[in-house]
Amino acid sequence: MDTKNILDIIKKHNKNKVSLISILEEIQGAYTYLPEKALRLLAKETGCSLTDIYGVATFYKTFSLKPKGKHCVSVCLGTACHVRGAQNIVEEFKRELSISPGETTPDNEITLETVNCLGACALGPTVVSDGQYFPHVSKSSVKEIITRTKGGGRSIAAEADIRIFPLQVSCPLCGKSLMDHDYIINGHPSVKFNVSMNGKKVWLRMSCLYGKHTVELENQLPPNELSRFHCPHCHNEFPSFSTCPECGASMAALFVREKCSWEVCMRQGCQGHILNLDQINLHKKSDKGKNK
Amino acid sequence: MNAFQTVAEFKAYRKSIIENHKKHPAKPCLVICGGTGGQASGSNDLIRIIKRRILEQNLQDKLALRITGCLGFCEMDPFIIVEPGYNLYPKLKMVDVSRIVDAAVKGEVVEELLYREPGSTVKRFTEQDIPFFQGQTRIVLGQNQHLDPIRISNYLKTGGYEALEKALEKPDGNWIVEEILKSRLRGRGGAGFLTGKKWELARNVNKGHTPKYIICNADEGDPGAYMDRSMLEGNPHAVIEGMIIAAIAIGANNGIIYVRTEYPLAIKHASIALREARRLDLLGKNILGTSIDFDIEIFQGAGAFVCGEETALIKSIEGKMGEPRQRPPFPIQKGLFGHPTCINNVETLSNIPYIIKHGADEYLKIGTANNSGTKIFSLVGKIKNTGLVEVPLGTPISTVVYDIGGGPSGSAKIKAIQTGGPSGGCIPSSMFDLPIDYDSLAKAGSIMGSGGMIVMDQNTCMVDVAKYFMNFLKDESCGKCFTCRKGTQRLHEILEDITRGKGTSGHLILLDELAQTVKDTTMCGLGQTAANPVLSTLRYFRDEYERHINDKRCDAFVCKELTGAPCQAACPVDTEPWHYVALVEKGEYEEAYRVIRSANPFPAVSSRVCDRKCESRCNLGISGGEAVGIRAIKRFVTDRIDSSAYKPKLGRKKKQEIAVVGAGPAGVTAAHCLSLLGYGVTVFEAEDRPGGMLSCSLPSYRLPKNIVEKEIKTLLNKNIKVEYGRALGKDLTIQDLQQKFSAIFLSIGAHESWPLNLENEDVEGVFPSIQFLKAFNMRGEELARGHVGVIGGGNSAVDAARVALRQKEVISVSLLYRRTREEMPAYEEEIDAALEEGVRIETLISPVKIHVRQEEIEAAIREGVELETLVTPIKIYSKEGRVVGIECIKNRLGEIDASGRRKPTPIPGSEFRLELDTLIVAIGEKPKSEFLAHMGLEIDKGGRIKINRKTLETSMKGVFAGGDLVTGPNTVIDAIATGKKAAQSIDRFLQNKPLTIPATPKLPSIFIEPAAVDETAAQALRRVEPAVLPPSARIKNFREVTMALPEDQARAECRRCLRCDLAFTSKQTIGQPMAVAMGGVQHD
Repeated sequence: MDTKNILDIIKKHNKNKVSLISILEEIQGAYTYLPEKALRLLAKETGCSLTDIYGVATFYKTFSLKPKGKHCVSVCLGTACHVRGAQNIVEEFKRELSISPGETTPDNEITLETVNCLGACALGPTVVSDGQYFPHVSKSSVKEIITRTKGGGRSIAAEADIRIFPLQVSCPLCGKSLMDHDYIINGHPSVKFNVSMNGKKVWLRMSCLYGKHTVELENQLPPNELSRFHCPHCHNEFPSFSTCPECGASMAALFVREKCSWEVCMRQGCQGHILNLDQINLHKKSDKGKNK
Repeated sequence: MNAFQTVAEFKAYRKSIIENHKKHPAKPCLVICGGTGGQASGSNDLIRIIKRRILEQNLQDKLALRITGCLGFCEMDPFIIVEPGYNLYPKLKMVDVSRIVDAAVKGEVVEELLYREPGSTVKRFTEQDIPFFQGQTRIVLGQNQHLDPIRISNYLKTGGYEALEKALEKPDGNWIVEEILKSRLRGRGGAGFLTGKKWELARNVNKGHTPKYIICNADEGDPGAYMDRSMLEGNPHAVIEGMIIAAIAIGANNGIIYVRTEYPLAIKHASIALREARRLDLLGKNILGTSIDFDIEIFQGAGAFVCGEETALIKSIEGKMGEPRQRPPFPIQKGLFGHPTCINNVETLSNIPYIIKHGADEYLKIGTANNSGTKIFSLVGKIKNTGLVEVPLGTPISTVVYDIGGGPSGSAKIKAIQTGGPSGGCIPSSMFDLPIDYDSLAKAGSIMGSGGMIVMDQNTCMVDVAKYFMNFLKDESCGKCFTCRKGTQRLHEILEDITRGKGTSGHLILLDELAQTVKDTTMCGLGQTAANPVLSTLRYFRDEYERHINDKRCDAFVCKELTGAPCQAACPVDTEPWHYVALVEKGEYEEAYRVIRSANPFPAVSSRVCDRKCESRCNLGISGGEAVGIRAIKRFVTDRIDSSAYKPKLGRKKKQEIAVVGAGPAGVTAAHCLSLLGYGVTVFEAEDRPGGMLSCSLPSYRLPKNIVEKEIKTLLNKNIKVEYGRALGKDLTIQDLQQKFSAIFLSIGAHESWPLNLENEDVEGVFPSIQFLKAFNMRGEELARGHVGVIGGGNSAVDAARVALRQKEVISVSLLYRRTREEMPAYEEEIDAALEEGVRIETLISPVKIHVRQEEIEAAIREGVELETLVTPIKIYSKEGRVVGIECIKNRLGEIDASGRRKPTPIPGSEFRLELDTLIVAIGEKPKSEFLAHMGLEIDKGGRIKINRKTLETSMKGVFAGGDLVTGPNTVIDAIATGKKAAQSIDRFLQNKPLTIPATPKLPSIFIEPAAVDETAAQALRRVEPAVLPPSARIKNFREVTMALPEDQARAECRRCLRCDLAFTSKQTIGQPMAVAMGGVQHD
């Protein structure tokens, strides 16, 4: 556990008692559980009594005082799932993993949990593994879910999968291609442009495969910081039409097929991106409100 | 710099977007759900492929793609709607997507991928044609289809924020409060408090003082409800717009969306929407240049059901444990951080823009007087069309369940709906006429709640449902009030006891009392409603509780400790199918025979004509595979092993003599069992041979005569005397018998066919099916000739049709049935008749059931029987005293009747005539009972002998009755079961013991070493079906149609058994019977 990290989280919330739940949520997000040391630190920093913190940490279902495994499987026990036999699914997971809900396998791979309702009632019985939903789970599909969870969820073989495909990318301002045919990433020509941050300028190459997030940088840039993307030909900054659905930072728009845009988040390390088929007409970009 | 200085500027911008949208000719657009439900079903994959196709084919100018939130029809996910035609393509696979893209560009439709009702071939070309959508009024949810929730421009394009504009134009918010009051909008979170009233109070408290809070309650904790998630995911701006308007109305400047952390996508979409709204100056300081300051933040609830309660929710935001507090003061007066706080539900807020935009008068037109507007329900559970459904308040439950929901998902009937989540209750199907509104539901013992509607069918155990909710509530009770903390826990324990077979009759009184106490003595909504699941199930399903407590049975096969191995629990004669299946697998056939025979005196007969309740309950069939072919395995054993392998022990001769009347399966079984106990038994049979229905009704191609004769012979012994040609009422009376015998068992069957009650039914050539079958089976008379019509849909109709087909002078056979083929062999006339008479019929239904019974029809059709469904005969034509034809009318499926099925309703003008030479009426059989009444037996108003169903005692001491005589036509295995029960009762009667024995659950007790079975492999393997004679080899003769399995196949079939018994017998799991190998609940 990194004390500085915890302190940062607490500081972000102005050491405010009122933000206790949000702080705990962030700590849990970072460590998958609430380490005792973190709670003691929290008590010291916010002036909240440890008893109160413990009370809150044990009152809410989300919080765990025990470390969790690498992967987390939650079986929904909502009413809709229950009447469709969710209890049997739990039994099957218990049998396959030899642990009870709330426990973690001895190899620290999988934590089994049950949840009151995931709100995916039409798909019951539902299981969520590391954020991925499995609908209409039957006893016989339990084994497969476990295998896939251990294998890191939906692993996609880029070459064979029709869901992964290359894009031809160009600069929306000068129209020149951004494809670098001499530099191959994931078996395809890479997309190359420039990135600047605090006066530092480096090149960035990324996979042209939609759905892959392979990125190479000339030099490392600090993660989570905002950067700007420029065209290597006309040196203009790429326009931005929207904010990243993942982190809210501005996204740079690259052109695909002339007017469709591949919008890529300009926050370092964020994988947010949208392939937007709506036609963007650059001349109209002075739309009020669009370009604040 | 502000995006907009004034409301007018924003208005111009908004209008320009709409104008721009109108100006461009609409391209065809693919609409696909990217909500949680859609994504879980794989819509993301489809979206990628669509994008790929569009780019590769250079179609971006010709085709649009809209990724929306939840569209409500989640059962069909992932699906695509193509505009402008609104063609709906359900449950799409990745390979089919490109075809839809290509067709959409050309304005074409891919017909074979279009939606059709499950089981129907009728294609529905547009969304509006689909019954699921037709029945709805989607003023709130409908918007989801038209916008991409992460793009504010989409929301503006569809008229979004117009209501806000209106609200800002008249900055004094009073008119808004007035308008909402007028609309009579009630809180959609469940309690139904008038929103306008709440706003009025909030407005008037501390007028002008800040801060004031408006909180959107999206802590949708009710398991089974997900409309709030869908709204927040699919149309977050509507919620935000509603909140801003609310803020203007009550003078709040802080907004909070309290959303469950289990809804990551809703949080994401709401965050994006807030960002976008801020960007357009719709939130923040001086909204659109006005003096109004208002902003919204998101608070993630950390998972506590009680936080849906407003005071607990507030504590939670304050960073404390979510314990409710006493009200008053209400949050309106003293809420978040002590400031006035107005809390509204997501759906309530989503209604606000509509009301402001269209006016309260318009809104009042929807719904009923005190329940205006619509409500979204999440229709889930055992229903065909699961999804979100928005209907005007006051819509009857049946409309939602049957018309929109499409009825049950499987073949089991719908029993009840549960509304209102853990605070709600169950409403039985008999009350489905009830309009859905706040007041009616409350009167029925449930609540509206946030709108979960969980459909339950006969495979749902209501005691288990109550237990489920109590388990939930005992975990979620915050613990502040003692009665809630301890009460829910104790209620759960009692229910747990009942479902484990430890229930006592005192438990029901205790449950009732305790539930009432919890209700009366707790502080918050959770506690006050916590007892509802118990109280409402006790109110409407008390018989299920009693069945668990008194009979130790769970008829839904859900409670494991009462069910054991489902195949065994399903068997009326308590055979242990798992046991002999395991023995056959090991090659121990003789031992297997003994296991079968020890429970069932008619193994060879049963292996041919049993209706296989065991297979219909097989866990393999229920969990996605195909049920083990138990009957075929039994046939294999009985064909191979001689009955001498089982030698029953004859007990010491007793002095009492017993009379059994009727030598059918019930009578013979009773006689046999009593004889083994040492009683002398005399059997009186009206015909010249034993067997009853086995001999006179069942055709020999299904059940060869020699099998019946041989099996009955082995059951007779020196203690049994049989007198043939002796009919009760004609040759002897009960009084005669009473003089000579210490006890009497009546099992004379049901030998009278129901008439059609049409004119000319008595002319030559018209036969009741029983007469027709008896004439042939007993005397070899062939009554049918020429063109034959058979009316009916039960087994005897199919038997009559197939027997007729085998008669020499027959040219053709038509089977006419008034319902659909799917519903066919359900003994439905009997069911209807029995329901009218108040008899409770246990119907065991599950996916394989159809399969099992349909094969007889299948066989008949293959042999050449023509099947005509949805027709009713209305007239019989005769010429010179002989039938020459009938007139029929066609039916369509109408309203849902008491049996939960659609009633066949005649279509006027659809009459048609059918030329016939023979008409066989097979709409059901009934027992003759008038003469029994003359002999002093009490008869019920349906004409059946009154008996105690548990002991078979009649109104006369020492006289017992059972079988078809009492139940109406029933299965062979049920008759055998009755015989066994009669023997037991008579024995106890003669020994002066109490007739009822305390029930115990029948659980597997012997451990049989399992073969190494891979369960997944077992599920993948196909069921082995026994070979049948080809139709050409069986028409016009009576050779047995179904053959036995060869040894290797029989043993292979046994290896598919999941061995559910092991959970109760294996060494590792003894002491923890809830263990692993069991599955029990259905998922269809």
